[in-house]
Amino acid sequence: MHSAGSSGAADECIDPFDKLRASSSARKKRGPQDDNLDIWGSTMKAIRVQHTGGPEVMELAEVPVPQPKPAEALVKVSVAGVNLIDGHFRDGSLRTPLPFIPGQEGAGVVSAVGVQARTVKVGDRVAWSGALGSYAEYVAASADSLVPLPANITDEQAAAAMMHGLTAHYLANDAHELKAGETALVHAAAGGVGLLLVQMARAIGARVIGTASSDEKARQAREAGADEVIIFTQQDFEPEVKRLTGGQGVDVVYDGVGKATFEKNLNVMRPRGMLVLYGMSSGPVPPVDPAKLSEKGSLYMARTTLAHFTATREELLARTGALFAMIADGKLKLRIAKTYPLADAAQAHRDMEARKIAGKLLLVP
Amino acid sequence: MELVELPVPQPKANEAVVKLAASGVNFIDVYFREGRYKAPLPLVLGQEGAGVVTAVGTDATSVKLGDRVAWSGPLGSYAEYVVMPADRLLPIPSNVTDQHAAAAMLQGMTAHYLSYDTYPLRRGETALVHAAAGGVGLLLVQMAHHIGARVIATVSTEEKAKLAREAGADEVILYTQSDFEAETKRLTGGKGVDVVYDSVGKTTFEKGLNILRPRGMMVLFGGSSGAVPPFDLIALSQKGSLYVTRPSLMSYIATREELMMRSGAVFGMIAAGKLKLRIDHTYPLAEAQQAHRDLEGRKTTGKLLLIP
Repeated sequence: MHSAGSSGAADECIDPFDKLRASSSARKKRGPQDDNLDIWGSTMKAIRVQHTGGPEVMELAEVPVPQPKPAEALVKVSVAGVNLIDGHFRDGSLRTPLPFIPGQEGAGVVSAVGVQARTVKVGDRVAWSGALGSYAEYVAASADSLVPLPANITDEQAAAAMMHGLTAHYLANDAHELKAGETALVHAAAGGVGLLLVQMARAIGARVIGTASSDEKARQAREAGADEVIIFTQQDFEPEVKRLTGGQGVDVVYDGVGKATFEKNLNVMRPRGMLVLYGMSSGPVPPVDPAKLSEKGSLYMARTTLAHFTATREELLARTGALFAMIADGKLKLRIAKTYPLADAAQAHRDMEARKIAGKLLLVP
Repeated sequence: MELVELPVPQPKANEAVVKLAASGVNFIDVYFREGRYKAPLPLVLGQEGAGVVTAVGTDATSVKLGDRVAWSGPLGSYAEYVVMPADRLLPIPSNVTDQHAAAAMLQGMTAHYLSYDTYPLRRGETALVHAAAGGVGLLLVQMAHHIGARVIATVSTEEKAKLAREAGADEVILYTQSDFEAETKRLTGGKGVDVVYDSVGKTTFEKGLNILRPRGMMVLFGGSSGAVPPFDLIALSQKGSLYVTRPSLMSYIATREELMMRSGAVFGMIAAGKLKLRIDHTYPLAEAQQAHRDLEGRKTTGKLLLIP
């Protein structure tokens, strides 16, 4: 979903081994407010990356349980989500100090809280996205980034929904405020974000044109509610979108693909239409001449990342609340493709990167 | 530019002929004169004016003989008569003068679409307006101020700073004396502005991105300092999921309906005294050369009009 250096994610990532080093040196000192656990100095199973590379660099290891900083909480992970960004950190295209524990997303139960952590308490069921180190039995995360889970949402649903679901939600509601009757072009409509974005766009009452690479993925996009699906390996999406909109163009293009689709996107938008670029899975878009935007009809362009749409605790809670309500009401169907034991993280990455499995992959510690 | 005698144009079926009372002088006229923008030669310059309808084509239903009208659009307004598509002509209310109508069409409708549509400003938001004492700038500052937005303006001289303040700017930065990036950050307590309206382009664009709040919008609507070079989109995500648009007036008056709505809103503001037009100078048509010299010398602060 994010390309190297494009998301600011690297800046936000916590280096879990800073904490591990801190915790081992501070083992004798008084720990955080751990009423019912005696885990300081104990170890846990985690996936460790000591040097970047292919899926094989992820090894199951026994490492110290991280100790939360004052504003953090320690969470016992019940499920971790597998995302493309995890692969970018693993192969070094996004950088973080080595060694590290991959994984940004998950759900679990709070087992200890730092002295300044006010938003959660021990025993709370929570979910998160953006806490590096989630491929483990325990992760320390900023308490402000932990979202309480309602009783009608399972841990698996939450872990599967955080990153893709929150992304789909901000795209459809905020990056461009999609309205009933508008037409949206959703690239990679059978992808992780795509399948959720199609459903949200349909729930709003927009017409959805999706693009997908195969008949099977086209079928999934249609099931999610896409009105039209263009199989871009068989048909050029530019003339097809023009035909499907009677030459008018679409109101908004949601694009996580980037380089391969950018130029043509500008040709399939109505005047004053909006291009929302939220990822660059095909590579970064070359520098853009802003004059193009006026030549093609006073177009708008945004390059967005989730962090800016969950920047405050208030917005994070509002967005997750809306997301969980859609899941609980059955308005948003999550497609959990496969659940792996933590030890099989490398296989999960192989499956994810082969792009053959549509739907979410989860790891269970 | 030379004054010549030409036949009075005849309207085609969907056109009307207008006897001009005043025509507006704009930078775009200079670009056509220089050849930076291309049109078949010889050409009559001028894209904006006001006057009275003297002939209508058989299919032209939107205006009738004797109507007072204004327009912005096709070339040919530096003349006694111009022929225009009838559906681009806009009725002028009786409480708006011909000169005001001619002065307001391009710049007034531009300021209107920028503040009401490209980025619909809301009360309490903060806008940075570059070249705030320029033709569009002075009108944009007034509109933003009436909406209830806080306006931070940039200008080059004390004299222009005074004009921007009179138009309603809350803060004015003399960019010749202080760095607008640092100054805007200070004035917003580090938060940044909701929107930047930038007609300057090359010299201001990059810094403009640095002073937008997360999810803020850069509205680039001109390039008086030169064209903005191609830029890396990663800057937009790194600086806070920013938006960029490069609008032009034509997209915002594309239908007769929208054109009527927009001109009606601008005329309404003028009639109500909410929008003060600054007519710097009127020239006889024969002195069009001097008008261009004055415009290009950038010594004028306000609208220049030609009177046939």
